[in-house]
Amino acid sequence: MSIDTVLLYFFVVAALAGGVLMLVAQHPMRVALALIAVMLSLAGVYAMLGVHAVAVFQVLIYVGAVMVFMVYVIMLLDVRDPSFVVRYGRLLLPGVALGTLLATVLGLGMAQMRVTPAAAGVETPSYLVRPFSQEFLQQYWLHFELTSVLLVAAVVAAIAVIKSGRRQDG
Amino acid sequence: MADLQVLLWLSFVLFGIGLVGVMVRRNALVMLMCMELMLNAVILALVVFSLRTATLSGTVLVFLIFVVAAAEIAIAIPIVLMLSRQKRSLDVEGYDSLKG
Amino acid sequence: MNLLTVIVLLPLAGFVLNGLLGRRLGPTFVSVVGCGLPILAFLATLEAFSTLQLTGPDAALIEHAYQWAAVGDRTFDVAFYFDRLSAVMTLIVTGVGSLIHVYSTGYMKGDASYARYFAYLNLFLFFMLTLVLGRSLLVCFVGWEGVGLASYLLIGFWFEDPAKAAAGKKAFITNRIGDAGFLLGLFLLYHVLGTLNMDEINAAFGGPVAPAVSASLVGVLLFIGATGKSAQIPLHVWLPDAMAGPTPVSALIHAATMVTAGVYLVARMHGIYEHAPLASQVVAVIGVMTAFFAATIALVQTDIKKVLAYSTVSQLGLMFVALGVGAYGVAVFHVYTHAFFKACLFLGAGSVIHALGGEQDIRKMGGLARRIPVTFVTFAIATAAIAGIPPLAGFFSKDEILWFAFASGYGGSTLLWVVGSATALMTSFYMFRLLWLTFLTPSRMTHEVEHHVHESPWSMTGVLVVLAFLSAVGGFVHVPEFLEPVLPLATARESLEHYEHTLVYVAVAVAVAGFLAATWLYRGGLAKGDALAARFPRLHRVLGGKYFIDELYDAVLGRPLHWVSDRVFLRAGDRFVIDGTLHGLAATTRRVAGRLGSIETGQLQWYVAMAVLGIVGCLAWVWRHV
Repeated sequence: MSIDTVLLYFFVVAALAGGVLMLVAQHPMRVALALIAVMLSLAGVYAMLGVHAVAVFQVLIYVGAVMVFMVYVIMLLDVRDPSFVVRYGRLLLPGVALGTLLATVLGLGMAQMRVTPAAAGVETPSYLVRPFSQEFLQQYWLHFELTSVLLVAAVVAAIAVIKSGRRQDG
Repeated sequence: MADLQVLLWLSFVLFGIGLVGVMVRRNALVMLMCMELMLNAVILALVVFSLRTATLSGTVLVFLIFVVAAAEIAIAIPIVLMLSRQKRSLDVEGYDSLKG
Repeated sequence: MNLLTVIVLLPLAGFVLNGLLGRRLGPTFVSVVGCGLPILAFLATLEAFSTLQLTGPDAALIEHAYQWAAVGDRTFDVAFYFDRLSAVMTLIVTGVGSLIHVYSTGYMKGDASYARYFAYLNLFLFFMLTLVLGRSLLVCFVGWEGVGLASYLLIGFWFEDPAKAAAGKKAFITNRIGDAGFLLGLFLLYHVLGTLNMDEINAAFGGPVAPAVSASLVGVLLFIGATGKSAQIPLHVWLPDAMAGPTPVSALIHAATMVTAGVYLVARMHGIYEHAPLASQVVAVIGVMTAFFAATIALVQTDIKKVLAYSTVSQLGLMFVALGVGAYGVAVFHVYTHAFFKACLFLGAGSVIHALGGEQDIRKMGGLARRIPVTFVTFAIATAAIAGIPPLAGFFSKDEILWFAFASGYGGSTLLWVVGSATALMTSFYMFRLLWLTFLTPSRMTHEVEHHVHESPWSMTGVLVVLAFLSAVGGFVHVPEFLEPVLPLATARESLEHYEHTLVYVAVAVAVAGFLAATWLYRGGLAKGDALAARFPRLHRVLGGKYFIDELYDAVLGRPLHWVSDRVFLRAGDRFVIDGTLHGLAATTRRVAGRLGSIETGQLQWYVAMAVLGIVGCLAWVWRHV
């Protein structure tokens, strides 16, 4: 068993643990930290798999942007209400039951599925940052640019929401 | 490559945890984070598929998901801010204005 | 020059002008247009008539005005046909029609709907002329329906009164029953002969190869139409009620012209009836029954217009007797004389009603002879004419009808003559009763009414004088002989020829007897008549109730229909099935929505749970089917 495999499984277990922690932790800040742990573990997994581009952006975007934003909001909203004290809502049992049900159904499907390795002779593309980026921007530049439209829309929407809130406040 | 199978199961479990979290947790911000977890699970699955088929398209989708996630959080956080300002609470069970 | 088309279209122009502009341009315009155009039509008819006279006795002017429709290689033309029969009818319609228009200017003066009245009246003339001039039975049918419409509009002219509106409806609906028979006859004729032109149909039935259809069947079907329009048993019930309309309308439509359309139709289609002894017998029997029963009802009526209405029904019955025994020309002769004296009587009655401010009950009249002398004299002449006093017009036509009823080689019989003569006796009696009670007996008017009595304006009395004059001398025109080239007369049985003079004496005696009986009974007022009624109370009630035919129809037809409509169609069908279905659907939707609404808790996580449930269902389904 190589060191790579060991590390891979370490990250897998860490991600799993972080997920479970998210479910049971009480304070949102702890949940956020657990989520950051999951994300970092997944980034490790991607790195182990050799998909470096994804690993890098996982850290940069998710941990660096999204989660920092989230943590900042948690600190900002110093609201004290039952949701900070009580972990679960009324739907705990039905929710768990439904989750189990979905897991069973999905698991039944997954159990029948075998992920076989890629067929021999097919050249695996390189996921190193430089070749990947060149490939990516040559083939998928249009899709990539179009996502900027989505981002612009999101920015406009965010401003609109904030403004409407101000107007309501007077 | 038994690893890919294991990773797919990991994706499956994380997704399930995220879904249950969305259903059962009471804090709106926690719900949001559980949704992020679900997205991460999906990204993992996409990476696995991309490796399995030895193509780039899976990873391209991953990048699109990054963008979507960023956009989502950019809108979701202001909405949560508004809600908490209006209801003075982050308790989703208090949000029942759409009751039929 | 399309003279016939012009004749037909002139009244239509009047209808359009009066209908569209009449209200705006005022009564003078309405009077000029309303009377002027019918008079022009009358003059045009005279012109056409003189042209016809030059062409020859059995000639006809035919004018194609318009091709209505083409189906395959067959065409339906609007064509006008003008022979001596149409000529007589057109002259009556335009002549008497014009006179009554003139009379109406006086009678309807000041009515709020003056323009509407003249528009309707002109519309009626248009349709009536279409009826009598149409060459195709189809065109005739359009006129036939059109006069029904005009009649409906005019009966219900004062539609603010529900009873009058109902009378109009009754006339229309009763006519529809007859029209159904007429239409069936048309279908049958077209199916067999492929044409609806009257002259061609007559020729086909008179031709060497008989058409492949029973002439009697066609004859009876067409006669059903005639019973509706001409108020014969069993469809006579509408005519007395039709008196709800303005009196000149009663005179024009319900006495002189429209109701004789049935007579015209049968005379026009004489080619069929000549070869349909059975249908002719039906016509004669229905005719004589109508004549007799209507006369008995007229004996006890107390409304001046109702008496005249039943008298009209009775006289129409006599015309059908003539048609039934093959004396078509004689029937038209009676149409012609009847138009004069009955129009005169109705207009006289209108003058009386006008003078009394709307009073129609003859028990509340009397002594009017000195107060309104012109009306009295003209009314008396017309009464004598209808009663059959020689040498007035009614005597000639009625005498000829009775003679043919007795002696015709085509269905004449003693029984017909006896019943017909009894009718004539009663006619004479009730007409003189009317004359006595209205004009001659001591006044029974209330003081207030008596104070207002006045003679009508010259526009009314002038018309009365003209009509009375025509009633007096009209009989000297020998219409049957004039029509013989187009309407063959049945020959009298030779064995009976020598009774001819005897019958004339009997007819005169009958008329005089009726006069004497009425004089004896009513000269002193109502007392003797009431005493007689008291002696036969049951008979009096039956006659006064018009044999309770309306009540019978109501019980046999009206109520079951009403019951079925109400219970089956309204309650079971409409309210229960249709409304019930809709209400049920709506209620179900509402109930289901109420239940489903409780799912919408507003709880975000509940929605997520439902969505997950759906995803699980979808996945399970997909796994099963992939």
